Amino acid sequence: MPRLPDPRFAPDCAILVDGHAVPARTGESVAVALLAAGRSLVSRSVKYHRPRGAFCLAGSCGSCLARVDGMPSQRLCRTACRQGLAVETQHAFPSAQHDFLGLVDRMSPRGIDHHHLLTHPRLANRLLVEVFRRLSGLGRLPDAALPVSSPPAEERFDAAVVGAGPAGLGAAEVLAAAGRRVLLADQEPVLGGRLRARLGLPGDPSLAWPRTVAEAVGRSGGQVALGSAALGIWRDGGAPLLVLLSERPARLRLVRAPQILLCPGGTARPPLFARNDLPGVFWGRGLAVAVAEAGVVPGKRALVLGTGAEAEALAARLAETRMAARAVAGPAVRARGGTRIAGLDMADGASLNCDTLAVAPPPVPACDLAREAGAAVALDVRLGAHAVRAGSDGSTGVAGLRAAGEVTGACTAREAADAGRRAGEAARG
Amino acid sequence: MASAKTIVCACEDVTLEEVRRAFALGHRDLESVKRYTGVGTGPCQGKSCLAATVAVLARLGATPAETAPFTARPPLHPVPLAALAALDPGALGTDPGVPAAPDAPDPRPRPSGPLPPQADVVVVGGGIMGLALAYELCRRGRTDVLVLEGGYLNAGASGRNGGGVRAQWSTPTFIRLARRSLEIFDRFASDMRINVWFRRGGYLFLAPERRQVEVLERNLVLHRRFGLRTRLVEPREAAAIVPELDPSRFLAASWNPDDGVVFPWPFLWGYAAGAGRLGAAVRTFTRVTGFEVAGGRIRTVVTEHGRVACDTVVNAAGAWSAEVARLAGVALPNRPTRHEILVTEPLRPWLGPLVSVLGNGLYLSQSLRGEIVGGMGDPDEPAGVVMGSTLRFLARFARAAVAVLPRLGGVKVVRQWAGCYDVTPDNNPILGAAGPENFLQLSGFVGHGFMMAPAVAELMADWMVGRGRDEIFERFTADRFARGRTVREDFIIG
Repeated sequence: MPRLPDPRFAPDCAILVDGHAVPARTGESVAVALLAAGRSLVSRSVKYHRPRGAFCLAGSCGSCLARVDGMPSQRLCRTACRQGLAVETQHAFPSAQHDFLGLVDRMSPRGIDHHHLLTHPRLANRLLVEVFRRLSGLGRLPDAALPVSSPPAEERFDAAVVGAGPAGLGAAEVLAAAGRRVLLADQEPVLGGRLRARLGLPGDPSLAWPRTVAEAVGRSGGQVALGSAALGIWRDGGAPLLVLLSERPARLRLVRAPQILLCPGGTARPPLFARNDLPGVFWGRGLAVAVAEAGVVPGKRALVLGTGAEAEALAARLAETRMAARAVAGPAVRARGGTRIAGLDMADGASLNCDTLAVAPPPVPACDLAREAGAAVALDVRLGAHAVRAGSDGSTGVAGLRAAGEVTGACTAREAADAGRRAGEAARG
Repeated sequence: MASAKTIVCACEDVTLEEVRRAFALGHRDLESVKRYTGVGTGPCQGKSCLAATVAVLARLGATPAETAPFTARPPLHPVPLAALAALDPGALGTDPGVPAAPDAPDPRPRPSGPLPPQADVVVVGGGIMGLALAYELCRRGRTDVLVLEGGYLNAGASGRNGGGVRAQWSTPTFIRLARRSLEIFDRFASDMRINVWFRRGGYLFLAPERRQVEVLERNLVLHRRFGLRTRLVEPREAAAIVPELDPSRFLAASWNPDDGVVFPWPFLWGYAAGAGRLGAAVRTFTRVTGFEVAGGRIRTVVTEHGRVACDTVVNAAGAWSAEVARLAGVALPNRPTRHEILVTEPLRPWLGPLVSVLGNGLYLSQSLRGEIVGGMGDPDEPAGVVMGSTLRFLARFARAAVAVLPRLGGVKVVRQWAGCYDVTPDNNPILGAAGPENFLQLSGFVGHGFMMAPAVAELMADWMVGRGRDEIFERFTADRFARGRTVREDFIIG
């Protein structure tokens, strides 16, 4: 039973994976369709040819790359399914399941020190360079040239909000209510950020809220841009220039706004234990979204690694798919498994079986956009990661740049929404 | 079953063990760990590995300054060149770029060791020039050498260039130096016991205009005289060397199969380790803040961590050379000029040579990791030590690259950065004493310092130990501009 038996989740098309038809729902990501088809293995890793499959399911890691319609290394979690979409495994010889270059990994349990491998004699070194060249790279050059479109015009808004999770929605809500023209952008194809996981945590905003905000944004002359990743805030021409990338076809949008509010949330945090990169290990929120929106049943036995309300809620959500699921505090020392996780050995000596491991939040604050624009970050020791330093009104010390939500540190969805509102009020003036 | 590795960076398969090893070797700050291990250089650009690496380093004893995140580089998501080529670069003016000021952790990362009270030779600048000179001096028995680097190794242009190395130059001097460097590059891995991934894939210069073909024809005569295997080829033959080229975009090309590409970073680690083994000291995160001059000689070098009495000072500070010289009251004509560069996603090998287009200054090659590494100069770029990245560069590069290699359109850019060319009025270096009699200059190599360094360092070391004075130390003196004895080098790319 790869999906919950609900007509909403019934496949309506087929994509071709290495020539084999895989049922899918139009518009959902290829990564999700593969999970629903019971395939957690996508390709092999760049150096050791270790098994690789989707991990974050949210466009922030590089673990689900494959060739799509003749274009190399496309992130499958960001690639929408449609009838006949051609997906090809890359960097595996002959296949991701049986890759003979996986020997490289097994023969070097302590890794390969490529800086000092075979540096002499000279002839051996030349041979090494030739062999490395032949084994290098991931995808093949695109089959054909892409058309180059005409230059996009600069667009102007009163405010641009990056991220349509609770913080971004809170900010956009306040700005739209004040009649400001807002651009609300998110790299995901669906509004809501972490609310999409529908974990029903205490204080979570209602499921109808994201749509209400989107409608308000539209009414005040603004726009919601989904599937639009922020590439950067450059300063060409003096003023901050926010550049968004929408995919398929890849197009850039150039946005100038006197107020930019950064609410990108956080990114998946891979746990550190041996074989932590096995397929079947997922970022909990990404997996919960796949369950909530596509009815994916990722396996039979799931563990949620982490503690706290969100970890427990994740386990409960997975259990609703009739998987055996429970949260474990960790720490784990090693995973077991071949091309998919089969179990987890814990530091306390316990050996647990599972075919799915969901890593629970908190996420790592997605600071890069803010840092690029000049905002300062500080190490949040409790969180074990850097977070943007922002005032309670979202101020970052950079004129016209505010940040709110998980990008500034761990917080609940309600706290993020409130912080977003405060930042929105400050930006409204 | 996959082996029991703990993967810190899944894009580049960097293990926990590798991060530990890097730290133990002295790569303690995150910028250095990134360069030594490859953490954060893959398609996700550190989104999933940065925090994990910070946690590992902190556990190993790194200071907060050492775990400060590496510089955030645009674009934040892989973007196809075709999408960037749609932008109109003319609508985007020149700009200092982003990040405006690279994150400067305060307090700074720890220096790599204590400062000795005195040294025979103090080299200011731990780029390839300074480190190669230190190594060559040690090999000649002058081992009391101290190299002072303000940042981490590879922080300057030596760690920011595209790694192209060629003998195709337009003056006999540069051809001679470059050929010697190529010999050293070729032997470097086995001599210094560190891989540098030197690959002779050749250089292919494309000439879109008649007058550029004439330049190539003139150079060809010179190259033949020096025994280089350079040939002038028709577009059809060039397209046989690189089938993805659009042959309608150029009239002829200059092809030399012996030129090549290296991976720049390990040269600095190799020279630093080599010099260290022979007795030299290399100190990173040690800024020079002044010189004490008495009786026409520099007596003491003053740094942020203390003072060093010295006999000779060499200024090998690249783009910062004029700034360093000013500390000794010496005015140099060097004008640092930003040069932007980018790298794409890794691809299976398809591009043999480094391809460069005369006129617009585009160059690109495929690294041993499979990425396309390429840059392009901007004639409107003002002088100054500026290292931010611009959208204008991405647009200019994308347009130029897709024009000659149309299939690059679907290839995604993952990171852009910038370094500084160390430009002089005649595009030639500045060598020898200037100002105080024991203050030697080793700078002004524009955009080709990296490929000239191994050969120049040998000659400079010979001269410093009294084993002969090469003609470059007569010709490229700092006072030549005042004396009006200059000949321009014009075959500069990028």
